[in-house]
Amino acid sequence: MTTAVYEERLERMWRSRPGFLGWAMTTDHKRIGLLYFWTTLVLFAAGGAEALIIRTQLAQPNQHVVGPATYDELFTLHGVTMIFFFIIPMTTGAFGNYLLPLMIGARDMAFPRMNALSYWVFLASGIFVYTSLFIGQAPNAGWFDYVPLASAKYDPGHAIDFYCLGIIFNGIASSLTAANFIVTILKLRAPGMSFNRMPLFCFAFLAASWGLLFALPSLTADAIFLFLDRNVGTHFFDVAKGGSTLLWQHLFWIFGHPEVYILIVPAFGIATEIIPAFTQRRVVAFPLVAVAELLVVFIGFGVWAHHMFATGMPTVTVIFFAAATGIVVIPSTIQVFAWCMTFITGRARFKTPLLFIAGFIFMFVAGGLTGIMFLAVPFDQQVTDTYFVIAHFHYIIFGAAVFPIFGGMYFWFPKVTGRLYFELPGQISFWIIFVGTNLLFFPMHIVGLEGMPRRNYTYSSGLGWGSYNLAETIGSYITTVGIVVLLVNLVVSYFRGPPAGADPWHGATLEWTISSPPPEYNFAVIPKVSSAYANWDYADREEDRRKLAEGIMVLEQGHEQPVSAPVDGWLAEIVEMPHDSPWPILLALAMSIVFVLLLLHLWTGVCFALAGIVLALLGWHGEEPQESEA
Amino acid sequence: MSDYAAGLRRGGPGLALWGMAMLVAAEATLFGTFVGTYYYLRFESVHWPSPGTSEPRVVVPLIMVGILITSSIPMHLAARAVRRGRLWTTRLLLAWALAVQCGYLAWATHDYVQQLHHSAPQDNAYSSIYYVLLGADHAHVAIGVLLVVWLLWKLTRGLTMYRLNATQAIAFYWHAVNALTLIVLGVLLSVRL
Repeated sequence: MTTAVYEERLERMWRSRPGFLGWAMTTDHKRIGLLYFWTTLVLFAAGGAEALIIRTQLAQPNQHVVGPATYDELFTLHGVTMIFFFIIPMTTGAFGNYLLPLMIGARDMAFPRMNALSYWVFLASGIFVYTSLFIGQAPNAGWFDYVPLASAKYDPGHAIDFYCLGIIFNGIASSLTAANFIVTILKLRAPGMSFNRMPLFCFAFLAASWGLLFALPSLTADAIFLFLDRNVGTHFFDVAKGGSTLLWQHLFWIFGHPEVYILIVPAFGIATEIIPAFTQRRVVAFPLVAVAELLVVFIGFGVWAHHMFATGMPTVTVIFFAAATGIVVIPSTIQVFAWCMTFITGRARFKTPLLFIAGFIFMFVAGGLTGIMFLAVPFDQQVTDTYFVIAHFHYIIFGAAVFPIFGGMYFWFPKVTGRLYFELPGQISFWIIFVGTNLLFFPMHIVGLEGMPRRNYTYSSGLGWGSYNLAETIGSYITTVGIVVLLVNLVVSYFRGPPAGADPWHGATLEWTISSPPPEYNFAVIPKVSSAYANWDYADREEDRRKLAEGIMVLEQGHEQPVSAPVDGWLAEIVEMPHDSPWPILLALAMSIVFVLLLLHLWTGVCFALAGIVLALLGWHGEEPQESEA
Repeated sequence: MSDYAAGLRRGGPGLALWGMAMLVAAEATLFGTFVGTYYYLRFESVHWPSPGTSEPRVVVPLIMVGILITSSIPMHLAARAVRRGRLWTTRLLLAWALAVQCGYLAWATHDYVQQLHHSAPQDNAYSSIYYVLLGADHAHVAIGVLLVVWLLWKLTRGLTMYRLNATQAIAFYWHAVNALTLIVLGVLLSVRL
């Protein structure tokens, strides 16, 4: 048989259904990644619109663009959206889903149907939370939703119930994704890809996935307790009945601080792919960077109470958490130095993706330095709940997490679409966004130090904050223009961009060895891997072509995928992967009904809906791979 | 399946077991949070349990959980038998485990309802965490029972690789549930120390 015959067979074997049904039933990680991408982009627009209204309201003192109640809803939804419905699903759901299997030489994720389920659950949770806005019951106690403000006594109605149930629902999607990534990275790497040959991008996503898996249960428990307190009458947070309001804060931040690293570590991963491609050099100190990516999440689990220095905790506790927080600086700094040294010792080509990474390093260092300032406990207590904190975490979350997302959009655009983007508008979009974000967030440091509190819907004139706030508002609009330029550039490039070819950047990893866009089976032959920079190992790629011509490791007789040993990457077995399935979307639908009925207190209905979940699972497991007779 | 694939013998646990390990890791963390909450509230309170709330019974729950834990033996043996392709042995061992698990679940449900007649989760923070922790554990036992019933039904139609993987994964789940039940009981009875 010839190469073309093998490829035609694989094409037939892995092809998804056409049309809408094909997308609804798909288990292809690339399609699921794209679904995540478009959905998170819509939610990003919603979160961005909320931010613009907030900034418009604060442009001048004593303004009344929106009232205080609406303002509460806006900043709560903005925070919830950007964290739970934009950055996590954009990095893990979109980038991770699309790229991870390609980088490790796999044909799909370890659990393709679970992958589809995670998307549909994510979509349903987004619709669930945003429904609250349209019925006038949007969450309004801030993204960290402190009790007693969020208790039924002070916040009656369904607003906080939407928050609790929405967070639990969304957490299910993220946990499914995290579990899938961990098993995919540990077990589906191409035979020969031992840990020391795995791209740094995968280390970053492994770290983020472990973080999600172990951090989310704490938030889930917290949300369960609050829902029960509000709707069943339990007393977890009721001090009069033996509960504790600080319990909410502890559980929230046990999730919340690892969450910060969960947001930025995938961005580190994106940076560690873009930098080698545009410097044509392997990343300096590869093992240290890999370990640092894992360590930053691990240490992140031990620092949560630094969000609570103003709550009156014992001094020894405060000092412990301040010291622990200081330790996080070490793995973070290792990475910054490694990136900088790779820049310096390589031949840097400042194309748009690399510009965004350079901007990211600048913003990350700036945000990191203000983060270190919080270790000084009296300083932290002074600026708690002021705009200084807002400035710090926006430098981290927008600068360090979103900049690499934009860089990654440009970097992998040719791979996903098969076309090149236009470079000049790309660079212009970077500079507009860079100037806009600094104008938006830097003055917040100053007004924060001057005592401007967060979450107040307006401020008096005569405090000297007006001009700073006006500058921030102008910055927010400039940033928006930059993002629009970026998106328009990508849309126009999709239709008019020149053909990209398989490898326009001379990238380092396996996704650049295959055509753009990738075929549905990803790799015609399971690739040979000798280093973390597989695309630069020319002899291996030559051997892949030879193996394809001879039909070795093509696995074209079924929906087959090699499974490897978790550490060494030796070939362990070959398994049949599931095909397209209607059950993930049906299961997500049944789960949605459960959450809606919980919100409405229709407890009997919940029991019936749970039975619906069981039925969907029965259908799911009724489909078995035909070739698997033992 | 490719000739190449057919010639391979599996090395190490299959993907299903890895997936179940991830679920158990997340669930164990959730229970860890519940246990952490229990002790956080305990050490924040002057009285524990809160005044007017009776302490949990010791002997009967210990005996019943002891019996439940013995179900790990047939589950473990079933996972071994299924690897060797012994279908009938697997079915019998699973049925043995299921009998123990159903017996425990019936007692646990009855006991839970009985306790609710004397105190309620709405009484105070102690009762709230007590019933949530115990209820979450019982729910996991119930899910385990459903899984074994499903597995037995699947195995009535023969053995496939899919069902072999399922048996191993469900056996792992049951070991985890038994361990969690023991831990939950230990936590709830620690009030008597």
